[in-house]
Amino acid sequence: MTDLYRKEIEIKKEQFQDLVSDLNSPLNRTGSSFKIWIGFLLLLIAMAGFMYVRQLQQGLGTTDMRDIASWGLYISDFVFLIAVSLVGSLITAILKLSNVKWVTPLTRISEIIAVAALIAALLIIVVDMGRPDRLWHIFVHGRLQSPIVWDILVVNTYLVISILLLYIPLIPDLALLRKTMGHKPKWQQKMYKILSLGWQGTEEQLRIMNLSLTALMVIIIPVALSIHTVTSWLFASTLRPGWDSTIFGPYFVSGAFMVGAATVIVTMYVIMTNYNFKAYITDKHFDLMGKLLVLTSLVYLYFNLNEFMVPAYKMKSGESAHILGLLVGEYSVLFWSVQILGMILPILLMIIKPFRKPKPLMIISVVVIIGAFLKRFLIVTPTLLHPFLPVQNYPESYHHYNPTFSEIMITVGSFAGIMLIISLFIKLFPIIPVYETAHEKGFPNEIINNS
Amino acid sequence: MAKLNTIVAILIFAFSLGAYSQTTTWEVSADQAAKKNPLEILPKNLALGRNIFKRSCVSCHGEKADGKGLIQSTSLIDEKFQKQTDGVVFYKISTGRDKMPPFGAMLKEDEIWSVINYLRVLVDPSAIPPPKNVKLELTTGEEIKSITATVLSADSAKLPLSEVDVHFYVKREFGLMRIGEMSNYTGADGKVKVVLPEKIVGDSEGNITLVVKIENNFLYNDNETMAVKKWGTPLLSHEDEFNRRALWGARDKSPVWLLLLANGIIAIVWAVIVYVIYNLFRIKKAGRIFIK
Repeated sequence: MTDLYRKEIEIKKEQFQDLVSDLNSPLNRTGSSFKIWIGFLLLLIAMAGFMYVRQLQQGLGTTDMRDIASWGLYISDFVFLIAVSLVGSLITAILKLSNVKWVTPLTRISEIIAVAALIAALLIIVVDMGRPDRLWHIFVHGRLQSPIVWDILVVNTYLVISILLLYIPLIPDLALLRKTMGHKPKWQQKMYKILSLGWQGTEEQLRIMNLSLTALMVIIIPVALSIHTVTSWLFASTLRPGWDSTIFGPYFVSGAFMVGAATVIVTMYVIMTNYNFKAYITDKHFDLMGKLLVLTSLVYLYFNLNEFMVPAYKMKSGESAHILGLLVGEYSVLFWSVQILGMILPILLMIIKPFRKPKPLMIISVVVIIGAFLKRFLIVTPTLLHPFLPVQNYPESYHHYNPTFSEIMITVGSFAGIMLIISLFIKLFPIIPVYETAHEKGFPNEIINNS
Repeated sequence: MAKLNTIVAILIFAFSLGAYSQTTTWEVSADQAAKKNPLEILPKNLALGRNIFKRSCVSCHGEKADGKGLIQSTSLIDEKFQKQTDGVVFYKISTGRDKMPPFGAMLKEDEIWSVINYLRVLVDPSAIPPPKNVKLELTTGEEIKSITATVLSADSAKLPLSEVDVHFYVKREFGLMRIGEMSNYTGADGKVKVVLPEKIVGDSEGNITLVVKIENNFLYNDNETMAVKKWGTPLLSHEDEFNRRALWGARDKSPVWLLLLANGIIAIVWAVIVYVIYNLFRIKKAGRIFIK
């Protein structure tokens, strides 16, 4: 009996070792293709950095932002990145708290996307400033009555919670890394040692960890909703055609969940194919994420209908120029492409099961992401081109906005930065939670702790 | 056909006339040149002449009448011009040539003569007597809001001076607002009266500052006198609006409900964050006990 039991434990231990080495395999494989990839990202970031230095020297004149369209690609990018970051709360908090078990391998992916997108969002907002050296003024002279101050507060708070929500489930995995990564450079081992907080997996430690995680998962939901609601209020609290809307908060939040889900699908596809994680990120995950994307897209479609149907029916004189510009005018091609290709068509396709297979779903998600980015642009800029107060004596070019090469490169650089953070993270930490996966596969704590 | 010929003929004539007028010179007949200026060089005429000069001539002939206006034109102060008789200048101003418009159609004869007088004085200020000092007094009506300026000679005799141009103003935040006419001439008693327009906004108590000036006068030196009257509409102060706690208030004037709400939310959320960070230390501590 005891022999049998011992043997069973041995088998389990072996299985667990396999699982650990499997999930930690990205840390040990650093091929030349990865180095080329990192080099490529660094090149893009360097180009963006060069453009930014040029912008600092010559001022915002290097962009196409002028008196009328004073917000352009940067602010669109900011809103887009904030939207992407919301997925962290959707997957790790909302679904986890609803006891949805299948999301476990996706939690860390969504959380690192959230953290990376938030860091890029905070940087891009500084890039949009004409005088970034005066950033500190908002802390010293900011008024609590201003939505900008709320935005700064809530974005930073959300970043702190997201980092904690990324870090705390990582602690048991770090303890495993501390034990298994003896061949790694000294600094890396030291990092694992410090970050693992002397984790032994005791009852007490587990209890405190779960308590902390629950507290964070509860608090991140209102914070996540408010981060994008406040971002939408930056627009909605002004008197502008197209922004003067009471549903801007939920409109933004639903759009954020849609683009966030699409981002997770693309990222998990890349990770699955690159590191051969087919056993952990299965077709079932893609199928369910596809359904989630359909759901979030339908909610967003509903808000879109409200957002454009109601003002278009009324055609108020002040707003009609803006509405017509979107529906049949200067921006109509972009507008209808975004609505049809970026939302309606993906929904129709994803309802059909074969399109929820990994590859087609990934392609659809890429289209959704591109559509979502252009959608943010359509929210920000056309409104500014139709101010309520008539403008006079401006050069004709001021009445249009076409992002310059400099702006495009810096925006591309922000995406490269996000991908760099995620790529490096995958090389330093297990992207699929080891402890949670083992726990859900039924490995007892003794085996996990004593391997 | 005959009709066409007529039109062509007229056109040719018109063009040739046009070409002719391009090169035309002023043919001033002797009797026109001999015409005498009926106006004396009087301050009142000079003021009129200056006003017309400023309005109609400055753009081409320049502020100093030296021909350096927006376009290069004839200098009106050089010897060649000034040698001409008043009659010749009158004819030239009246008929015009090339770019010089025929002012005879726009100005009265007296007005043209007064401009000529002004041009003469420009090069020869001695044509008018040196300006004298005056005594300028300001009195105000009580029943209707009116201002009376009295101009008296500055010597001990204090004789009333008539035909003196007086300007009336009300002091505003950044300058003077003219009331009354561009020119207000004193009567035989040396007085001229202007009625204050309704609804002039004053300071918080309704005080307005009235200013009376003699300025740019050919006969008299600049002079000015002022009086403060409680005639204005009191200025409504919005100080209280800005000093109370409101959404539009300054940084330290946030509404109490907003302070409580925002800081309450921040406190709750950050309390959880601090609690979780504290838990990290507890996790570390729990691990240490296990090792011992």
